[in-house]
Amino acid sequence: MVTFIIRRLIATILLLIVVSMITFAIFFLIPRLAGQNSYQLATQYVGRNPTRAAVLDIETKLGLNEPIYVQYGRFLKALVFGEHYNSGTSSTYCPPPCFGYSFRSQQPVWPQMVSDLPVTISLAVGAAILWLIGGVTIGVISALKRGTIFDRFSMGVALAGVSLPIFFTGLVSLELFSYKWPIFPNVTFVPLTTNPLLWARNLVLPWVTLAFLYAALYARLTRAGMLETMGEDYIRTARAKGLNERTVIVKHGLRAALTPIVTIFGMDLGALLGGAVITEHTFSLNGLGQFTILAINNQDLPEILGVTMLAAFFIVIANLAVDILYAVIDPRVRH
Amino acid sequence: MKRRGFTGLAALGAVATLALAACGGGSSSGGGGGSGSGGSSGPSGFNAAVNAVVNPSNHKSTGTISFGNSTAPDSTDPGNTYYAYMWNFTRLYAMPLMTYKSAPGPAGLQVVPDLATAPGVVSDNGLTWTYHIKSNVKYEDGTTVTSADVKYAVERTFDRTLFPLGPSYFPLLLGGNAAKYPGPYKDKSKTGLTAIDTPDATTIVFHLAKPFADFNYVTAIPQTAPVPQKHDTGADYQKHPWSTGPYKFQSYQLNKQLTLVPNTFFNPATNPNAKQLVGKITMTMNMNADDIDNRLLAGDLTVDAAGTGVQAAARAKILSSSSLKAQADNPISGFLWFAYLNTVVPPMNNVHCRMAIEYAANKTNLQSAYGGPFAGGQVASTVSPPNVVGHKSFDLYEANTKPQGDVAKAKEQLKLCGQPNGFTIGVGYRSDRPKEVAAATALQQALSLAGIKTTLHGYPASTYYANFCGVPKYVHQHQLGICFGGWAPDWPDGYGFFDFISAGNTIGAAGNTNIEELNDPVVNNLLAKYGTTTDQATRNSYTAQIDMQIMKDAGILPEVYAKSLLYRNPNLTNVYVQTYYGMYNYAVLGLKS
Repeated sequence: MVTFIIRRLIATILLLIVVSMITFAIFFLIPRLAGQNSYQLATQYVGRNPTRAAVLDIETKLGLNEPIYVQYGRFLKALVFGEHYNSGTSSTYCPPPCFGYSFRSQQPVWPQMVSDLPVTISLAVGAAILWLIGGVTIGVISALKRGTIFDRFSMGVALAGVSLPIFFTGLVSLELFSYKWPIFPNVTFVPLTTNPLLWARNLVLPWVTLAFLYAALYARLTRAGMLETMGEDYIRTARAKGLNERTVIVKHGLRAALTPIVTIFGMDLGALLGGAVITEHTFSLNGLGQFTILAINNQDLPEILGVTMLAAFFIVIANLAVDILYAVIDPRVRH
Repeated sequence: MKRRGFTGLAALGAVATLALAACGGGSSSGGGGGSGSGGSSGPSGFNAAVNAVVNPSNHKSTGTISFGNSTAPDSTDPGNTYYAYMWNFTRLYAMPLMTYKSAPGPAGLQVVPDLATAPGVVSDNGLTWTYHIKSNVKYEDGTTVTSADVKYAVERTFDRTLFPLGPSYFPLLLGGNAAKYPGPYKDKSKTGLTAIDTPDATTIVFHLAKPFADFNYVTAIPQTAPVPQKHDTGADYQKHPWSTGPYKFQSYQLNKQLTLVPNTFFNPATNPNAKQLVGKITMTMNMNADDIDNRLLAGDLTVDAAGTGVQAAARAKILSSSSLKAQADNPISGFLWFAYLNTVVPPMNNVHCRMAIEYAANKTNLQSAYGGPFAGGQVASTVSPPNVVGHKSFDLYEANTKPQGDVAKAKEQLKLCGQPNGFTIGVGYRSDRPKEVAAATALQQALSLAGIKTTLHGYPASTYYANFCGVPKYVHQHQLGICFGGWAPDWPDGYGFFDFISAGNTIGAAGNTNIEELNDPVVNNLLAKYGTTTDQATRNSYTAQIDMQIMKDAGILPEVYAKSLLYRNPNLTNVYVQTYYGMYNYAVLGLKS
């Protein structure tokens, strides 16, 4: 198991390097292939009607006029060894992992992302707990009560949940429960450590909105998995051995049906931790998703690189966790 | 529940106001003075705050004015910002030498002393500008502002590697070593910027490279707000600019949340253009624009920081509700939406081909594309909007008399151009701006009626000027005869409006703003004369002449004088549209409760 984890961690690092190279290439190579030069690139980072000297200064400062491999090498070096930065009045050290300094705000990228993480983690983890419990429970009950009104109703709702985009359900929930009947007014992120009650109250709407989409998907997946599993021969054998129905369902049925759920859960949670862009935008939550939008709008390469690599990191780590969990759930994997 | 509570308070306030009004009446408008209570007097209803003060009051409240912002400021450092709403917002914590008079209506276009005691005194044939600053203005720590701090503030903006986002007027206009001065952090000579002298603690003298009559406007840019050298933190100064205004930074989480609290050393007598009336001011950044509107309407937010008006959903709500509409204003923002008609790309290098486009364009459809008469704007027939000093109304191409376009006249012009059957030309626009996409499509349809075929080229807004329409070489290669754009001046006179979009010497290789590449000697000469003329009537006549000449050249197709639908929170006091900013004056706002 240890070798397996080490192997996966090495693969993770290689993957992150590849991701950073691709992001770098998209940002720099594609515009150059389209005929853009470094001077034009630099004009994006100065104000309106700049002097030529101002553009040249910023071009030199950002290193845009250097070969792309030099720029990339500098990025990697800063990431591993850190970087000294001159803020004018003083020189500050950006410790590793230093994702560089924002082209726009001239502030280090890493601390900004770290300050956004609590918002995104609170949103993603809270919603994940809701959708996992809700989705799996509804899926199991629907499978066991196949064809009943409950089954039909819950699957109908699930279909709606899968079909309706978050920006629609989010806006409807805000309109109803924040503006019209202000049960959850002024949705704003309050840190858990500052006020746990307000933290939870302000996140209820985003959690429910996000969980509605995923719970619907998980309910349908769980139902399908359970229906398939409960028809297997070993379930019949378990019942024939005289095991009580609860043990048959939970230990033999659900455990097997959960295997694909765990896989997809890892992927979904990892992706959300990299920034629940639409949900954060809809509810005006300043997490990594909003950070990403601003970075893209500002064409801020260090920020785009940083958030891309962080998102990739979360997905890879979540997959690693899933693989480990797989071995726990499914004994066959261990062998 | 919260909303109900708020309504109840508002109702109480209204009752109290009525009682007060019955007793003694209230002032109706003016420069933001008014009664000492939190009552609501003065005008009310739709557009009430466009030319008058709504709820004038000096009532001090412990409440919070909350700004919502759908993006983040370019910078909160007064020396490094170019966003219009930030120039407005920085007046809450920074005092430049000059500023715009805090007053509704046309008076809001006047440039008046702020930190300075009087406008600059010109000498040496227009090359020297001398300002005296108020001797009793304090920073937030109680120390006195000196002229050396103003000089230092200007000097640091010369370091374009640290402060690249603000305007470039000082390096362009100042003499001495300004052309090569690298800013105080890299200046090894320690001579400083030789173009600025500070003979004593309250005098500052600017030496220009050439006469520039608009220099008072330049010193109204926040870059002249003083910076104490010992508190300068370079690129980090944006986290806590040292305040000279009514409020100071309490905390700033970069691009997320800004909180201002009263500056205890603020002396209202030194600053007639800003007021300290509330206990706290916050700005929440990166909010969903629709969420901002809904919170505004629900009373959970006080002001939309961007000041460009509500989104489509809120607009529909406001315009369909008489009570909400009574709380809205629809000012001309000072922005012009237009299309550059390139004067170099054939066959548009022939003025008659450009005139054909002027006639053929359907201005009503263009107005609809930008959002209609409320959110889009008023059909434009001139380049300068009405809130540019010296604007004169005229209509060369029947924009007002035949807003649907005049195909017959367009065809006449095509004959004169030698293209009787029309021609084909490229159109550049920003594909991630729905209004501009709609405008490009509307123009394409209108031009096709006259036989002018267009190929649409959409580009991302973030690189539009840097890589595409702002790069003459690219424009020529791709035959972009028409490029959509928008423009608001750095200061509201003819020079401020026209120079960057029509002077021949501003055509640049990238980031070009004279996209029509107009190099008309008449326009160039008038702009040059503008720089040396101080007589206001003559300057006003230049504004009208330049406008007329650009339209005769058909270098620009004006579409609409932009208007925005602003929602006025009923709890706000001293609310009015500052004509220069085209949005509410943030420096004087207070709260009833």
